[in-house]
Amino acid sequence: MMTTQFRDGVQLTFDGGTVLVRSPGELEGAPGLLWDPRVRAYRAPAWRHGAVAAALGRLGIPCHDTVRAPLVATRDWRHVELRPYQQAALLAWEMSRRRGVVVLPTGSGKTRLAIAAMAGTRLATLCLVPTRVLLEQWIREIATFRPGRVGCFGDGAHTLEPITVATFESAYRYMPVLGNRFDLLIVDEVHHFGNGLRDEALEMSTAAARLGLTATPPRHGAAAARLEELIGPTVHELAIGDLVGGYLAPFDAIAMYLALTQLERARYDELIARFRAVHSAFRRLAPEGSWSEFVRTAVRTDEGRRALSAWRQARRLLAFTQSKREAVRTLLARHRDARTLVFTADNETAYAIAREHLIVPLTCDIGRKEREEVLLRFRAGELRSLVSARVLNEGLDVPDADVAIIVGGTLGEREHVQRVGRLLRPGPGKRALIYELVTPQTMEIQQARRRRKGLAPRVAPPM
Amino acid sequence: MRGDELVPRFLGEGDHPWLRLLLEEYDRFVGRPQRELDERVSEPLDGCAAFDKQRLAAFVLRRLSRAGAKSAVPPVRARAVVFGEAARRLEPRENILASAAASVDVSPNALEASLFADLPGERLVAALERPPSPLELALRANLALAQGFLARASAVKIEMEGNARAVVRHAKLRGLICRVARLAEVADATMEISGPYALFRHTLLYGRSLGDILPLLSWCRRFRLRADCVLHGRQRAFRVASGDPIFPASEPRRFDSRLEERFARDFKRLASDWDVIREPEPVEAGGGLIFPDFALQRRGDASRRWLLEIVGFWTPEYVARKLAQYRAASISNLILCIDADRCCDDGDLPPHALVIRYRRRVDAGEVVRRIEAAS
Repeated sequence: MMTTQFRDGVQLTFDGGTVLVRSPGELEGAPGLLWDPRVRAYRAPAWRHGAVAAALGRLGIPCHDTVRAPLVATRDWRHVELRPYQQAALLAWEMSRRRGVVVLPTGSGKTRLAIAAMAGTRLATLCLVPTRVLLEQWIREIATFRPGRVGCFGDGAHTLEPITVATFESAYRYMPVLGNRFDLLIVDEVHHFGNGLRDEALEMSTAAARLGLTATPPRHGAAAARLEELIGPTVHELAIGDLVGGYLAPFDAIAMYLALTQLERARYDELIARFRAVHSAFRRLAPEGSWSEFVRTAVRTDEGRRALSAWRQARRLLAFTQSKREAVRTLLARHRDARTLVFTADNETAYAIAREHLIVPLTCDIGRKEREEVLLRFRAGELRSLVSARVLNEGLDVPDADVAIIVGGTLGEREHVQRVGRLLRPGPGKRALIYELVTPQTMEIQQARRRRKGLAPRVAPPM
Repeated sequence: MRGDELVPRFLGEGDHPWLRLLLEEYDRFVGRPQRELDERVSEPLDGCAAFDKQRLAAFVLRRLSRAGAKSAVPPVRARAVVFGEAARRLEPRENILASAAASVDVSPNALEASLFADLPGERLVAALERPPSPLELALRANLALAQGFLARASAVKIEMEGNARAVVRHAKLRGLICRVARLAEVADATMEISGPYALFRHTLLYGRSLGDILPLLSWCRRFRLRADCVLHGRQRAFRVASGDPIFPASEPRRFDSRLEERFARDFKRLASDWDVIREPEPVEAGGGLIFPDFALQRRGDASRRWLLEIVGFWTPEYVARKLAQYRAASISNLILCIDADRCCDDGDLPPHALVIRYRRRVDAGEVVRRIEAAS
C-alpha cells in the first residue's frame, strides 16, 4: 500500500512513444513498467498507458499524468449513412469497448465504416493507410463528411489536425511525436501489422480506442495474437461470398489454362531443373528451412546464385508467355466496350501490355498527379482499360470495372481477394467477369489453387 | 561474419581494377537507357570475386549519376494523348499512333519512343559531372556499407576525441537518449546512444538516425564505434573506427548557429587580447560531461579563462541545475547567456550567477566588460 514516499505521487509524461514514470520510490506491480537506467525512471510502451495508470491507481499512488495531449476534435460531422452490415460491424466494435478488427471484403465500404466510427465517437483520430494513393483517397472521403482540414503525414506532407491520415511508413517515423495526440487509432489493411515489422507504429500510440480494417486477416499464429493484443479481437466478419448478389456484384470466374510453347517448355524445364538441383540439396539439409533461409544460403555460392537466377528467369518467363500474350489480345478485343482491369505479376509485363495494346499502365513509376488524372479519366469513361502489377491491389477506389484479366500474380490468396474486390462494386444488372490465365504443369497451378481459397463465404448459409 | 561479430568486407586496393572497369562500363553506356547499363553490371565484371561488392559499388555509382529523360514529347503528355486516342477509337494500333502523333506534331516513331522515356529503366545514362576515381568509389561504397549496418542498429557506443558536441546535439535533436561518461586515458568522451523504445525491444526504429552519426565522426581526431545490430534475426556487433576506409562526409558546420558565429566575430573584434576557442574540452560534472560553447582565454595569462554557454530555451530550474553542475565541477568562471524572449517562466534566477540576457544577438561588449571587471 501507499507509503509516505509516494505522498507527492509520481509523474507520467510522454517521451518518444513511451510513457515515462518518474517516481520517488520503487514501483512494483505495475504492468509493462521497466526501469530505464539511462534516464533513471520507469518506462512503458505508450499503448500500455491506460493499464499503467489504472495499476498505479489501484496501488493508491497519486499520478500527475500529462501523457495524453489529444487534439480537440470538431463535433460537426454530417450524417454518415450505413448499410445494415456496416451498422452491425460498428455496433460490434462499440460493444467490444471500441477495440477490434472488422473483416469486410474490398468494395464493401470499409472507409465509410471508419468515418462512422470517427463521427460516432467524436474523438481525435489518426488513420493509418498502407500507401500514398490511399492517403489521398481517405482524405478526400473524410472531407465530404466534415468541414475543416484533414491532417496528412506522408507523400511529403506533414500537417497535424484533429482528424489526420498517415501512411504506415510516416506513422512509423513520426509516432514518437504523434503518439499522444489522438484517442482513436484506425488502421486500414491492418493485416500488414502483427508480424513485428513496423509494429512500433501501433505500440507508440496512447489511443485507447482502436479499429482495424481488413479483407484478409491473419488467421493463426503469432501475428493474429499480436494483432488482437494491439488492436483487439475480430468483432465482425463477412467475406465476398456473403455479400455477392446484394451489396457486391455477382461474378463469374473463368480460368483459362494456357500451355507453354515447345520452346518455352524446354526453357522452363531447364531453368527449373537448375533451380531444383540446388534447392532439393538445401531441403535435404534443412527440411524446415524457409525460403529466405534458402536465399541466404544460396547467394554464398556461384552455383546457388545461378539457381536463384534460374528461378527468377522461370518466373519472368511465366509472367507473360506466348499464349498469355495471345489470350490478352483476344480478351481485350472481345471486351472492347467493357471497363477492363488487367493485373500482371510484374511491372515489365504491365509495360509490355501497355505498349502493345495502348492501354494505360498504373505502376509505382507513374507520378501521383498523372495517376490521379488517369483514375479521373477512367471514372469519366474517357479511358476504358488499365493495366497494373501491384498499385491496383489494395484499396484504391476504382469505380465500376466489369472485366478483370489476371495475367499473373504470385502473392497468393490475399492479393487475389483484393484484386477480385476491385470488380465487385455493384451496379444495376451488373455481372462481373474475371479471367484467370494459368499455365498448366508449372508452379502457377499451385499458386492459382492457393489464391482462390479466400473468396468463400464466412457466414454459414441459413438452414 | 565471424561469431557474433559483423565484419564488413570493405573495398580496398585489390578492388580497384574492377572498380575501374565499372567506371569504364559506365562511360560506355552514357546516352543509352539505364536498364541496359543495369543489365550489364548485373553480370560479374572481370576480376571481381565478390558479387555483393560489385552490386554495392554499382548502386553507389547509380546514386552519383543523374539519368535524364529525353524525348520528343514529354512522356506524361505522350501517354495522355496516345491512351486517350486508343480508348476513343476502335482502330489498329498504327492508325491510333499516327493520328495521335499528328495531333502533337511529331512522327509516330518519335511519339512511341516518348511514351515511357521517363521510366527509371528507360532514362538515359548521363555523363558524371565529376567522375570519381576507383579509390573514391571504394570509399563511398564503404560508407554506404557501414551505414547499411547502422540502419539495422538499435544502439551505438562511441569513444571519441573531439567533435563530441556535434554528436550529442544530433542525438538530442532526433529524440535519442545520449549517456555521456568520461573514460580516462583512452579517449575524450564515451557515449551510448539509443532511442527511448530500445528499452523494450531491439528496434530498428532509430537505425536511420544512428546511421547519420557516422559521417559526423569522420571529423573526430579519433573514434571507435560499436553498434548492436540485428541481421537475419540475430543480434550482432558491428565495429567501425577512425582509420577505416570510409568516405569522409563534408565538414560539419563550424558554428551551430548564426548567433554563435556572430558572437565569435564580435568578441574577436572587441577584445583583441583574448582568444576565442570554439568547442573547448568538455567538462566533467556529476558523472556526465557538459559541453560549453566557447572558452575565452586571455593571451599570455593562463589563469584568466572563462567558459561561455549560450542557452536557447530555458527555465529558472534549468539554469539553476546548469549552474549547480558547473559548481559541482568546481568551475566558477562561467558565463551563461540566456534568451530573454524564450524563457518559459520569469522566476528569479540564481543571484550569484554570471548570467547575461540577450535578444537575438549576444552582446559581446557586455561579455568583455564582465570578464575584464571580474579579473
